[in-house]
Amino acid sequence: MFERPLDVSAAWCRQFLTESSRWATALSDWFGEPGRAREARGLKLLKEWLSPEQLAQYEANGYFDVTGCDSGKRYRIRHGTGTNIYEMDNAGQTRAGWCFVPDESLVAADVVLAQKIALETNERGALAVANHFVLK
Amino acid sequence: MAVQIVMDHNGDTRHVFDANNAKELARAEKRFRELTGAGFTAAVRTTSGDASVTRRFDPSAEETLFIPRLVGG
Repeated sequence: MFERPLDVSAAWCRQFLTESSRWATALSDWFGEPGRAREARGLKLLKEWLSPEQLAQYEANGYFDVTGCDSGKRYRIRHGTGTNIYEMDNAGQTRAGWCFVPDESLVAADVVLAQKIALETNERGALAVANHFVLK
Repeated sequence: MAVQIVMDHNGDTRHVFDANNAKELARAEKRFRELTGAGFTAAVRTTSGDASVTRRFDPSAEETLFIPRLVGG
């Protein structure tokens, strides 16, 4: 007498799993794949605009150094979307943290490229809007 | 062909145009003025590969990158 409800229940479970899987795939396509494509586009652009030295440093370490156009100071920009700029001293130690970002939501590679160009072409302007952050 | 690259939530959007075509060139110049007017910084690469900020539309620039306004993070 319980065989029929069990059949129905198994069929319902199968349908539920099939539907769930379809939804999971759709959500992954919607959120995951375009996200990866955006990040890949940003990364390609960043690599095109880095100098050969910066590119080698970035690929090896996930950061690269830039020279501020006004002060000649060296800054280290780590891959990220914020609190990722470090002012370096002559001994190669971090001495201050700076944070400025584009006012639009961008992928990390675009943020990093915007920061690089700002420090290399308008260091004073970039630091004028930047916030400090505490180094750990 | 020249290209204007606009950083946006898609990573970037590229507008390719023929600098020898007056109509396309005018459209590119209009886009330049609109974007810089909206606060974007326009950057080009010099022959040495360094980035340089430009405030005027350069019809001979092969690649112009538009960066949104920067704010404290």
